[in-house]
Order: sequence, then C-alpha cells, then structure tokens
Amino acid sequence: MKNKLASMLLITAGVVAQQPVAPTPETVGRSRGEDVGGYNYTNQFETGYRFRSIGGNFDRYRSDVNYGNGIRLLGSNLTVHSKEGHGKLFDELVLTTLGLGNDPYQHASLRLQHNKFYRYDLTWRLNEYLNPGLTSGGHWLNTRRHLQDHDVTLLPQSSFKFFAGYSRNSQDGPALSTIQIFDSRGDEFPFFSNIDRTQTEYRVGGEASARGFKLIVLRGWQRYEEATSYNRDQVHPGANLTDNTTLTSLRRTEPYDGNTPFWRANLLSEKKTWFAANARMSYAGGRRGYAFDEAVAGTDRFGSARSRQILVSGAGSRPVTSAGFTFSLTPSIRFTLTNHTAFHQVAMNGNGSYQELINSAASFSAFRFQHLGIRSIVNATDASWRASRWIGFYGGYHYSNRRVRSREGESGIGFSDVVTAEQTNRLHAGLGGVRLQPARPVSINLDVEVGRASRPFFPLSERRYHSLGGRIQYKTRTLLLAAATRANYNTNSVSLFTHSARSRNYSFDASWTGKGWLSVDAGYSKLHLDTLTGIAYFASTRLVEGDESIYLSNLHHGHLGVRMNIQKRADFYAGYSRIKDTGDGRSVAAQVGERTGSALVAFRVVQTFPLSYDSPQARLSIRLYDKIRWNLGYQYYRYKEEFLASQFYRAHTGYTSVLWSF
Amino acid sequence: MKHKTLSVECQREARRFHLVKDAHWFLRIETANSFIVGIVAVFARCYKCFFWLLSMTWAGSLVQAQAPASSEGYVGSNACKTCHADVWLNFYKNAHYKSIAAGNQPPERTGCESCHGPAKGHVEARGGRTTIPRAFSLMNTARALDTCLTCHSKDLSRSEIRRSSHTQASVVCNNCHSIHKAQTPKLLLARKQNDLCYSCHTGVRAQFSMPFKHRVNEGFMSCTDCHNPHGAQSASWRMGRRPRMVQASADGEQPCLRCHTDKRGPFAFEHPAVRVDGCETCHSPHGSMNPRLLRRPVVFTVCLECHNGASNFGRQGDGIARQTASHNMADPKYQNCTTCHVRIHGSNSDRLFFR
Repeated sequence: MKNKLASMLLITAGVVAQQPVAPTPETVGRSRGEDVGGYNYTNQFETGYRFRSIGGNFDRYRSDVNYGNGIRLLGSNLTVHSKEGHGKLFDELVLTTLGLGNDPYQHASLRLQHNKFYRYDLTWRLNEYLNPGLTSGGHWLNTRRHLQDHDVTLLPQSSFKFFAGYSRNSQDGPALSTIQIFDSRGDEFPFFSNIDRTQTEYRVGGEASARGFKLIVLRGWQRYEEATSYNRDQVHPGANLTDNTTLTSLRRTEPYDGNTPFWRANLLSEKKTWFAANARMSYAGGRRGYAFDEAVAGTDRFGSARSRQILVSGAGSRPVTSAGFTFSLTPSIRFTLTNHTAFHQVAMNGNGSYQELINSAASFSAFRFQHLGIRSIVNATDASWRASRWIGFYGGYHYSNRRVRSREGESGIGFSDVVTAEQTNRLHAGLGGVRLQPARPVSINLDVEVGRASRPFFPLSERRYHSLGGRIQYKTRTLLLAAATRANYNTNSVSLFTHSARSRNYSFDASWTGKGWLSVDAGYSKLHLDTLTGIAYFASTRLVEGDESIYLSNLHHGHLGVRMNIQKRADFYAGYSRIKDTGDGRSVAAQVGERTGSALVAFRVVQTFPLSYDSPQARLSIRLYDKIRWNLGYQYYRYKEEFLASQFYRAHTGYTSVLWSF
Repeated sequence: MKHKTLSVECQREARRFHLVKDAHWFLRIETANSFIVGIVAVFARCYKCFFWLLSMTWAGSLVQAQAPASSEGYVGSNACKTCHADVWLNFYKNAHYKSIAAGNQPPERTGCESCHGPAKGHVEARGGRTTIPRAFSLMNTARALDTCLTCHSKDLSRSEIRRSSHTQASVVCNNCHSIHKAQTPKLLLARKQNDLCYSCHTGVRAQFSMPFKHRVNEGFMSCTDCHNPHGAQSASWRMGRRPRMVQASADGEQPCLRCHTDKRGPFAFEHPAVRVDGCETCHSPHGSMNPRLLRRPVVFTVCLECHNGASNFGRQGDGIARQTASHNMADPKYQNCTTCHVRIHGSNSDRLFFR
C-alpha cells in the first residue's frame, strides 16, 4: 500500500509544468500524518538560501524573474484534521505558504473550519515588481503590492448560511513618470512619485435554501483612495536635448477617493436533475471625487521663462447594473438545452472644472464633461446531444446587442458644442462541434464558430470572424498524448480601411510515467500571429494615409522535463523551457526589399521583433532521514532580443534547502 | 420507525409542550437550523427554550446516527470500509466526510453511497466494479456531471456549468477533481491547479513561459483568480461573447480591475478602449513577448491601429481620432505615445490623458 501511494505521488509529481526551481515538490514525513488526540496532522517546512548572479540588463532580469539572494521559508504545508469530524474548536486547518520572508512572490493561504459552525479562508499575497520603464527612462516602477482576502462563513452546512468578508489591496513604492509641459510640442521630463494607493472591500451576505431553491444575497462596500506624492526640484534638461524647454521645479498633488457600494442577488434552482434555473442581479454604484493641483516652472521651447499652474476638480461616477437568467433543460441524460440571457448597463459620467494659469495670469478656463453609456443584451442558446457512447454533438446561437451612447463637451460659457452620438452593434454568432470517442482512451473534439458584427466599436474588434479548433487526446494510466490546433480569423474592413488578423496555434504534448522511478514530460507549441491594419499619421506635418501596419510573430515554445527517483532515496529533476519568436525570419532590424507595411523606416523596424528566452533547470532532492530531505537546485535564464542588445541578460539562480517535518 | 415523546416547559408562557414525532422530525429540526431557532428564542428572551432547542438539534444528530439504514439498498459507509480500507483511512480529511460527520443526512446523501449509489448489490456480489451503481470509471461524462450536481448544482460558482465550454467539450468534474487521490486538500484537485489547466491548454502554458507574464508559474496567482472553470456569466464587455469562462468581479466588472485598482476608475475622462472591449484590446493577459503584456512590440502601433480615423468607429461613429499635425512620427520623440499621454487608462483631469 505504501509503495502504491508513493508511486502515485511520484507519477503525479512527474508530469508538471516547469515551475521555478524552488520550492521542492517532494514530501517528507509519513504521508498519512501523525495522530495526536482526536486530530491528525501533517507538516513540512522548507527553509533554504537562494542565490543569483546576473550578467547584462539587471532591470530586465528584475522585471522578468526577480529572485534575489538570501534565506527564506521557501514553502510550507500544515494540515490538521479531526479524526471524527467533531473537533471541539475546529475540524480542519490547512496552511500553505510560499516564499515567505524574502521572495518577490509570497503567498499564504489558510483554511480553518468547524464542519458545523464556521469556515474561515484567508489568502495573503505579496508581489514585488520592477517595471524598467520605457527605453527613454519614463514610467519606471518599483512597487510592492499586498493582497489579502478574508472570508468567514457561518453555519456552512446549514440551510441558512451567513458570510462576511474583507479584502484589501495596496500598492506602494517609488515610481518615475513623465510630464510634457508648456505646449504640445514641448519637451517631456521625468519626475518622481511615491505611489500610495489602497482599495478595501467589506461584504456581508446570506444564503437560504428551501424547496429546491437557493437565494444568495451579498452586500458589499468598496473604498479606494490614493495619496501619491509627486515632486521634482532639480533642473532637468528634458528627454530631448535639442529642445530648449527646461523644468526647474514641479509640485503636484492629486488626491482622490471614492467608493463603490454594491448589491448582488442570485436565485438558483435545480429540480430532479432535468431542470435548472439561475437568476442574478447586481448593482454597483461607483463614485469618485478628485482634486488636482500642479505647478511647474521652467523655460519654454523658445527659451522664455514660464510658470504654469493647473487646478482641476470634479467627480466621476460609474453605476453598473447587471442581470442574468439561465435555464437548463435536461430531458434525458443524452440531451441538454440551455438558454442564457444577460443584461448589462454601465453609465460613465465625469466632469471637471479646469483652470490654467500661465505666468500667474489666467490663460484658459473650461468646464468639461463626458458621458459614455454602454448597454448590452446577450442571449445565448446552446444544445448538446450525445448520440451514442462514441459520438456527441453540440451547437449554439448567440446574439448580442450593444448600444453605446456618448456625450461630451467643453465650454467656458455655454454648451453649444456638445457632441452627442448613439450607435448599436449587433453580433450574430453560431457555433458547433462534435465530440468523438472511438475508443476509451481516445477523445477527439472539433469545433467551429462563425460570427458577424454589424458595427464594431474599434478597428481591431471582431467583425467577420471565424474560429476553427480541434483536439485529439490519447490517455492511459501511464501515457498521455495530446495534440491541438486552433485558428482564428477576423476581418474588419470599411471603406478605405482594412484590418485583418490571423492567428494559428498548434501544440503537441506528451507525458509518460511508465516506470515508478522515471517520468518524462515534453511539449511543443507554435503560435503564429499575422495582422495587417490600416494606419494614418503625420510625418513632418504631412498626413500619411493608406499606410499599413503589419505585425508578424512566429512563436515556438518547447519544454522537456525528466524526473527520476533513485533508489527511493534521491529525486532528480531536469527540465528545459525555450520560447523563441522568429518574427519574419530576418536577422537585422531593417532590410531593403523586405515585405514592408509602412513608408517610414521607424515603423518598419518594429513590425517584427525576434527574441528568445531560455530557462534550463535541475534539482536534486535527497532523503537523509524519514523526516528530513536536503535539496539543491539550479536554474539559468537567458533573454536575448535580436534587435536591441541592451535588453540582453543572463542569470544564474539556485538554492539549497532543507525540507523537514516534525 | 422509532417514535419519541419530547416535552418542554416554557416558563414565559407557563405552558408545557408535548411533542410526539418520529426520527424525521428531528432531522427537520436540524435542517431548519439551530441558529435561526436560537435567534428567535433569544429575541423572545426564552433562554430555556433556546438551550432546549439546541439540545434537540444534537439529539436529532444522535437519532440519525443510530437510525437503521433504509431498505432501498443503502448499507452505510461502514460496510464499505471493510474492503476499501485504503480509501477510508484518509477519508476523514476529505471534504465529503462532512456528510458522515454531520450525522443528519439521509442515506442517499451520506458518505460513499451519496456518490456511488446504494451498495447492497455490490456487497452481495462481493465486490466488482460493474456492481457499483455509480462507478465513475465506467460512467459517461454526462452522468458523472449529473452525479456531482446532485449536491453541487446550487453552488454559486457552478451555476453556469451546464453551458460552460468545458461541459460542451465533455470536460466534467472528474477530469479535474480527484475525490480519493486529490493533490490539493482544499479543492480536491487531481493535480496542482496550473498543471491541471496546462494539460489541455498547452498554448496557454506557452504564454505563461514568456518573459512578460502574470506570475502563475511562480505561485503568486492561479488560473481561478480570473477564470471560473465551471462556467461564467456573459462578460459585461466585448459584446458578451468573449472571453469565456472569465469571472467578473462581484460588482460586474472585469477581473483585471480587482488587482489593478488604479486602472479602475471611475474616471472623469474614460478611455473607451478599456470599457467597451476590455483590457484585451491592448494587452495579452496571460503572457506576451512584448513589455507590459502589450499586443504589439512598441506603443505607437498599439495606438495608431485604432487611432487612424477610419469611418464608422469610435464614440461618435465618425472614426477614432487620429493624431494632430503637431505629432511628427518621423521624430522618435513622438513614438512613445504614453510619455505624454501618461494616464492612458483614464484620467481625472485631462480628456487627452496628459495628467
């Protein structure tokens, strides 16, 4: 039995996606845990040291990977269960952690519950993220984001449940933004900000079940605020040295806060498995008030001394109403019919009084307002019919209707220049598919979807599209072979403009766990994207129309993992992952005579963007005692952009740790 | 069926109640919930009744635990553990063990037989997979789904399961969940969540292997932070058709905004791209070879492919405004649009997103 369990764990651990090299997925201690009193517990803790050595662009590494040096609790797992399900204070406690103490990605989750009286769930997360910004230095960001969610359910097994929850999301840290000053042709300048934004949410609700119906009501309050400070006190020549504009001082305050109270109600029913219905309704009223005060001083592009102050205040609101009804009919085990109707309305309103003072004299004053209302109605009918054990069909018809209403205006006196518009987009889509199971381990799925939209909002939106997909899988206890393909085509053309997008994906995956001590996992994917879009722009005050933006990406991704258990004492894993965008195959940025989408070289060079990203890794875990393992791992990262050598980096990372159980 | 006589004296009303009911009466008391009854009693300031009713609840549990199995072929989980000791030994850690521990569920909703059906025939045949009324390894997918939905159909997160893309593709509960060999204690998943999803969504695995990606492989977040694998309501953006299986936030908005709160607004001046067709207009949320998960390698092609003045599009239906003549795209200075239009997701103070 023990061997069987160990084999099962080995098999399941073998076929995994390539994760960062730590923590170690192996386990220590008795798999069934230890009994103490009326409880059983299992535990394991992995403590170790991570190291890294970086060559090349360090900021790029920090943005992509970001593991650092130091000691940390790489992972832990603690479970406590009451043996009879009648614990005094609790029946289940499950605590898992990841990377606590020093990793840039930290995660902890806790579930504590008494079967009869309560259930408490906690998720806590921390992400340290560095965004290296634009190549010119703007929009650099180095922040920490904390997320936490608490949920309590009272009487979880009862017909009447009560729940309450609290969530908090905060982001703080330094950032570098840019400002463009004095006029639209002025220079742009970097300035620092200290980000400080928080969102909190409180929710309470209840659930009642009776006579085959369940009613769930949730009431919530979200509150968000930002008190980011901005400053720049040193003289800066600007990003473009040929420009005379300079910035000598900048002060900005931009506080805002707002709240979104919301209601959500769901009514669910399922009778005798042949009929199910689900109705829901939610309303959220979002409001925000803000003030903006900015003062800058410097010289304009003609070299004259300038000071400018901008004062803005106003409010924004966005009430959101959603409703939906779904019913499902299952007259027989072979046939299911569902219909889903959804209504969604959002009305965004905002206004602000804007006052601009140049050299202490009022230069511009206006009141601006905007309204953007979106109302959509969706009706989707889907049917599924299982004709026999080996073949089944499904199909559906979906209709969407979206109305967009817009009003916007700006005026210092009256509103004679208000622009009002309304438009409606109707989408008809049909989809169908067939499921085949010619033999028990083999399953085949083919599907097609065709859609037509009357008036999409954007040039890139779906207008005349179709999608084709297929997947075949062979699965036994020891072997999994799967191949899949999907092609998406969309054409959105109007008079004198065209947009065409084609994407084709192919993938193949295999995993084999034939031996208890050996498992192999490998796969390959190709993702092809080819888009052509009409663009218009100004070049040296001349309007260029009828030009094209062509983007071509050919991504190849492969991964291979081999896992070995040696003498039931040591586990060894070696993996390799590589992703490469070959672009259109060229090896230099601009090439004469190539297929080109634009008259401007500046546009042509960015339409294909080859790069490669490799990450081999190896990990060794040795069982020293029943309750102690020693682990060692190494992972290498290599990032290489073909046309921008300054972005290149290579990183050696690794760790050594002890995994123990008490 | 056992009959019991119970009595209680209410001091406030100075009355004594005599109740004669069978075991099912106790079950109803249990189902009606001691909490609600307790609240009523407390509000009535009748603490004796409150404690009596609580004891009644526990008594109901006892009666159920001692109640003989019905004659419909249910033999109770005790009969199963004799042969299936390996399953039973760890079953108290399983979420489904609550049905046994509660002691108040009818036989068809208790323990092994709640999922596998009445076991009398299986016991009499001394085992055999074909004698199990509901053996999941022999079931077709529709029946496996129905079996689980017997109890789980009215869970909020599964309310759209009948029309989900997974169900249509014959991916049902036991394709992802393993009741007896779960690798995750909380959701009884057969494997770690992202491994499970990657096993079919191989293209998505490739996306999360890209240099710019959300931190799923790193363990910071999981697929279900954004997706509902059991099926979701129609999206409130992008014509409600796509993305499918994406779970809107509690207030009906895109799940991206749950974390990226600074993009959320409401703003006085909204960028319609964010609200009408959603964040995916410009970003590839899983992963991208381009910085900031953008769909294009540099910013200005992202912007110009919409801001090209082509007729019919945009707020007024007369084309999305193209840039003004003050922009000279031949000058690199103008090729990073967001250097000046810094608040591109929406601004409180400028309709051109300058600040």
